[in-house]
Amino acid sequence: MEDAIVAILRSGTPLVYVTLAGVLAQRAGIWHLGLEGLMIIGACSAVLGVVQTGSLVVGLGIGIALCVLASALLWFVIEKLRANPIIAGLGLTGLGLGGTDLAVQAIYGSQASVNAPYGLPRLGPAFGAFGVLSVLVVLMPLVVFAVWVLVRRSRWGLQLTACGEHPFAARSVGVSPSRMRLYALCLGGVLCALGGAELSMGSLQIFAYGMTAGRGFMAFAAVIFGAANPLGATAAAFFFAIVQALGIRAQILFGDKVPHDLLLALPYIATVIGIWISGRLRGGAKAATSFGELRDY
Amino acid sequence: MIGPLTQVFRALVFVLIGLILCGIIFEFAGYSAWLMFQSIAEGAFLSARAWQNSLRWALPLFLTATGVVISFRCGFFNIGAQGQFYMGAIAATFVVDGLTGYPPALVIPLTFLAGIVGGAVWALWPGLLRVRSGTDEVITTLMGNFLAGLFLVYVTSGPLKDPSGTGQAASSRPVEAIYRIGAANSLSPAIIAICVLVGIGAWVLVNRTSFGVLSSLAGRNPIMVVWQGARLSRLGLAGFVLGGALAGLAGTIEVMGPIGRLSSGMLPTHGFTAILIALVANLSILATAFVSVFFGGLAAAGLYLPVLAGLPAAAIDIINAAIALFITARAWPKRLTNLFRSRRSAA
Repeated sequence: MEDAIVAILRSGTPLVYVTLAGVLAQRAGIWHLGLEGLMIIGACSAVLGVVQTGSLVVGLGIGIALCVLASALLWFVIEKLRANPIIAGLGLTGLGLGGTDLAVQAIYGSQASVNAPYGLPRLGPAFGAFGVLSVLVVLMPLVVFAVWVLVRRSRWGLQLTACGEHPFAARSVGVSPSRMRLYALCLGGVLCALGGAELSMGSLQIFAYGMTAGRGFMAFAAVIFGAANPLGATAAAFFFAIVQALGIRAQILFGDKVPHDLLLALPYIATVIGIWISGRLRGGAKAATSFGELRDY
Repeated sequence: MIGPLTQVFRALVFVLIGLILCGIIFEFAGYSAWLMFQSIAEGAFLSARAWQNSLRWALPLFLTATGVVISFRCGFFNIGAQGQFYMGAIAATFVVDGLTGYPPALVIPLTFLAGIVGGAVWALWPGLLRVRSGTDEVITTLMGNFLAGLFLVYVTSGPLKDPSGTGQAASSRPVEAIYRIGAANSLSPAIIAICVLVGIGAWVLVNRTSFGVLSSLAGRNPIMVVWQGARLSRLGLAGFVLGGALAGLAGTIEVMGPIGRLSSGMLPTHGFTAILIALVANLSILATAFVSVFFGGLAAAGLYLPVLAGLPAAAIDIINAAIALFITARAWPKRLTNLFRSRRSAA
């Protein structure tokens, strides 16, 4: 039982950090499909930073700085150049995946993965089976709570939500939706860097190309599944983590009888069903994009 | 209203901005940006062999991108081209694998039919969810991509596994030579003919039929289309299904032609590149043909770089991503336009 909880916490924590970043963006009215890219930038810079400079703080700092910079770039493209957020977000994801691959190849040649000498600080043997958990896992509930307070119980959160739901109303009371989106995206950048660092340094201490393996998109699905509520989205992220852990366990228990790949599909199927039901309940979701934006006539 | 020349000019400017961003990233990673772009040009367009490779990659991309153009024009944001491409390839492989031994005149048409239906079905369910329940198609098609990717892994390591395969990636048995419509990694007249036919058909559909007029109206102003008495849901579904069918056709061609087998994780960026092509071409069929050649060239260069120039293939992914970042941009920063405006008024 303890092992299962540890496994779920380990696979769920990176997802939760990135999901919270997605919640902030979603609240501000931006569909954030760049999460995957930001996450892998965070994962890569944490490992490369530690290997190159020998300091964990520097590694995390570089990761946070790069993710914030990339988020600001995404904001500039969406807000100032009026690009389509979905395509721009996918572009950012591509930049993150390609850029980290290029960086690793530039430094280490055609090497598949990079090992870090040490990872994030752990709880230690005093906590028994939970001793392998990193500090970011322990901090995670606090971060979830902080984001919840920020979004649901603060003036700033209300303004942020207004910017997403009705930018005109926000503007009419003197709140700049554009600026709020910048803040939300950059704060999300910090969270993505932490989530990425937990992924690469929390339990494995390794960076491999494409190691996020769609977790950024899964986080985006969790945001939608959780209706952009920090607590709901966190629960959705953990649901995905549990399904993944179950998939691995079922493979051990049943072997070839239950194909592993089809179990891995469960979170995605759950998301589709979840969106479908929530759309029906709300009586038709509003479209993400208006098509005049994509083509000039 | 923007003239066609302005549209072309603006697409070029944003592609250029993307390339400049790439140059900066290359320089930061410690590569010479000039050398990188030069090698990419060599791998894509600077020799007859390179042109042949570029066209080989451009043709399937053109098919998928045409499908994306049609479904985007209807006003639905079907970003599931990758999944539909996979599903088409999987369905085609099932048929060609199951019917091995029968005459090619029977097997090849059935395989193409299966591929087209496979892609269309994978576009149909997000389409139905969209028009019936208002489920957002961005999420469903995105999830559909992952589901199809996992299904591809499953079939290539399960039902369709090549028992003699020893490579790192699981793959199906190679398609028998008599059923192939093109040799390995080369241009085949059959594939060119299919692309020309599809291109002409799509051009007529978009520019010369009531479907084309209504669908591009639906993309701009859905309410008006409803007032005109057209069925928006039927129009949208047709867009989804046509998009999926063309992506499935592209998948079939890859299996039956240049690649010759189904392998797990094959061409993972095909759908994304096709969406990019559709957007760079500003959803015009004619422009899609030209833009496909450019991105086909980039794909060919991606294979050329690591082998002949000793540079990482990731460079191509970065170029595609940077173009994606900027291509949908619809405005200049205010400060910049103000600057130009004040200059002009001063002069």
